[in-house]
Amino acid sequence: MSRILEAEPGSTMLLMGNEAIVRGALEARLSVATTYPGTPASEIGDTFAKVAEQAGIYFEYSTNEKVATEVAIGAAASGLRAMVSMKHVGVNVASDPLMTFAYTGTRGGFVLVTADDPSCHSSQNEQDNRFYALFGGFPLFEPASPQECYDMVKKAFEVSEELGQPVILRTTTRVAHVRGPVTVGEISVGPKKKEFVKEPARFVTVPAVARARHLVLLEQLSKAEQMADESEFNTVIRIGDGGRQGIVTSSAAANYTIDAAKGMGLHVDVLKLGFSNPVPSKKLLDFLRTHDIVVIVEELEPVLEMQVRSLAQREGLGTKVFGKMDGYMPRAYEFDQAIVTRGLARAFSSDQKETTRCELPQDLPTRPPVLCAGCPHSATYYAVNKATNKKALFASDIGCYTLGVAPPYSTADLLVCMGSSVGTAGGLAKVNDLPVIAFIGDSTFFHSGIPGLVNAVHQGHRFLVMILDNRTTAMTGHQPHPGSARDPCNPGAISVSIEGVVKGCGVKWLKVVDPYDTSATTEAVKEALTQDSVSVIIARRECALIAKRDEKGAIVKKHYIDQEACKKCRTCVTKFQCPAISSIDKLQTIDEALCAGCGVCAQVCPYKAIKEAP
Amino acid sequence: MVDVYLVGVGGQGIITASKIVGDAATLAGKKVLLSETHGMAQRGGSVVCTARIGDVRSPLIPDHGADVVLSFELLETLRALCKASKNTVVISSTERIVPLSVSTQKLRYPTMEDVEGKVMRTAKAFMQIDAPRVAADSGVPMSSNVVMVGALAGTGITGLDRAHFESAMKMNIRRDLAENIIAFSEGYRLASPQP
Repeated sequence: MSRILEAEPGSTMLLMGNEAIVRGALEARLSVATTYPGTPASEIGDTFAKVAEQAGIYFEYSTNEKVATEVAIGAAASGLRAMVSMKHVGVNVASDPLMTFAYTGTRGGFVLVTADDPSCHSSQNEQDNRFYALFGGFPLFEPASPQECYDMVKKAFEVSEELGQPVILRTTTRVAHVRGPVTVGEISVGPKKKEFVKEPARFVTVPAVARARHLVLLEQLSKAEQMADESEFNTVIRIGDGGRQGIVTSSAAANYTIDAAKGMGLHVDVLKLGFSNPVPSKKLLDFLRTHDIVVIVEELEPVLEMQVRSLAQREGLGTKVFGKMDGYMPRAYEFDQAIVTRGLARAFSSDQKETTRCELPQDLPTRPPVLCAGCPHSATYYAVNKATNKKALFASDIGCYTLGVAPPYSTADLLVCMGSSVGTAGGLAKVNDLPVIAFIGDSTFFHSGIPGLVNAVHQGHRFLVMILDNRTTAMTGHQPHPGSARDPCNPGAISVSIEGVVKGCGVKWLKVVDPYDTSATTEAVKEALTQDSVSVIIARRECALIAKRDEKGAIVKKHYIDQEACKKCRTCVTKFQCPAISSIDKLQTIDEALCAGCGVCAQVCPYKAIKEAP
Repeated sequence: MVDVYLVGVGGQGIITASKIVGDAATLAGKKVLLSETHGMAQRGGSVVCTARIGDVRSPLIPDHGADVVLSFELLETLRALCKASKNTVVISSTERIVPLSVSTQKLRYPTMEDVEGKVMRTAKAFMQIDAPRVAADSGVPMSSNVVMVGALAGTGITGLDRAHFESAMKMNIRRDLAENIIAFSEGYRLASPQP
């Protein structure tokens, strides 16, 4: 059941921005799609995974964003249309091939989708990837709605092929994860094969080629600027009677701006940019000349504002420009209608009733995400704390297991990005006396943990790497990875052995444990920390959500707390964390419906009061 | 313009509920925008969805701007009150899912009197639905979310026909559709204005 393929040409249906991107690509002669999952981009890959075979395109979940980009480059350089999608920080990983791919250019249309995350709803930073478009020289599209996602993907492929340059389509959480009406056309995918015609003077970037290609890139960018100036996605929307006041905006900020301007009863022209790099200079200058005050409304960095100010200065225009460089709009976090209303009211000196932000009562118990009932990571962290008595430094990584940062475990002391735990642990171990443990998930290990491990072996760093192997990429929705036994997109996929990789890196001490066996795990951690080189423990147990789904809830040993044996020591909630166990008014209980039957709590209880249900 | 603010806990089927509302509106030929904040939501965190039916571009509902707060969990009902005003109808499931912070930080889970008092002071009306019981009675204990959608439909505030909701359910529910329709109907009946 996929509404993406079912939708009849000309029909309107409710699609998520990410789904609209897939439908648009399938109508734009797409041949190859790749990704590494990451919120808020994951549904692009997940939708491709569901429909690729039926639609007749090639799709893969690649090992990381760099590899995903390179696979797509190989197809696009051959002349087929290719798309690679990722979250904003994924582009950092992919930036190396991207920066030089802009020099070689592409034969088939190439679209990189980056999903930015203002306010860090599910990310470690809120970097503004529009800078990559300026940095590398990529034409940039910024849709504001699911319909625009669909429309702009199609246009992005055309522009890419016409210029012979890779193009970026940038969404944000409030575009990628919004569902709205989308009117679709006819599906038309590209061919499966295309012979690569050799042209080393273009595609092999030795210095002589690179120097020549840089000039080609600059020439193509000036053509792209003309296209942006003529683009139907860069248009003026008149609010009220328009007039001498103007606003320049893009992406989700355009939605808040238009609703705010209408709500305030302003008479204003809104120049909404959808094809925003290179900036359409002619259109912008025309707008600046015909308006006395222009406010720039954009989320995160002043990317448009810097360029608008520089254009105004270059042409010696007296138009007043307001934005975030002068404090009228905030530079951090996502916008909403109220934030934009406040900024516009100040810039246009318009009288508005000051709306105060509603503050939640402080005494409401918080409900942050937690490790699930039966989560093997929970058992691992319990065992590690028992083995180290919390006297250790913990380098953490990106995955569900990052939740170990919270009490009762507190098993995260340093985290910067995907795969960083192994490298940072090397530095920590070099300059600290406390034992150092790096935690890394199986998918993250394949993504970018391996070079760190090779380095640790080679340099003789002394720390423990715990590979938390739950057999899946759990946090983003259980996508496969190179170690997975099954890959729904590729039935012949070969499962790469983590043990084999670890041994191949030259690790001398390796142990595989079942985290549900907390004493064996505790002993393994103690032994690993006595080694005089880098040691590795693979804590292997399938993600509890998958185990529950596959066993259909049949084979579990539900547990309960024998209240007569319970001494109210609260160890089950102070040393261990399980959503099924609650402790209210000195009474500890297990919610049988939530209990996953892992039995770890029974090992945690010092008084053997937690028992298998009859 | 009708704004529905849906809240609850990861795993309660809130996103599916919002999709039913969105598809029902689309089937009725109305413009609708849905948004969701989930990310790590399936790990038992708070979940927020919005459904805005009408001519609007921003997916987020302004503070005090919701016409309906549709809450799947009592504590989350209190957390949603920033979106409520004297024009808002609050429909809440009486289900309680005690968060770990109550156990670990010894915080107090609000009593029914707390919830009633705060909602009544803020909103126009407060409708309580024992969604888990209604769902169990209909034969599918997991259908609490559909009971709540039924209640939303029953109030008539969305301006959408029952038939549109039922067609939208067919688009979003893969198993036990007949039982889910029963759960929806009971929610609908409980929330319908008395004749």
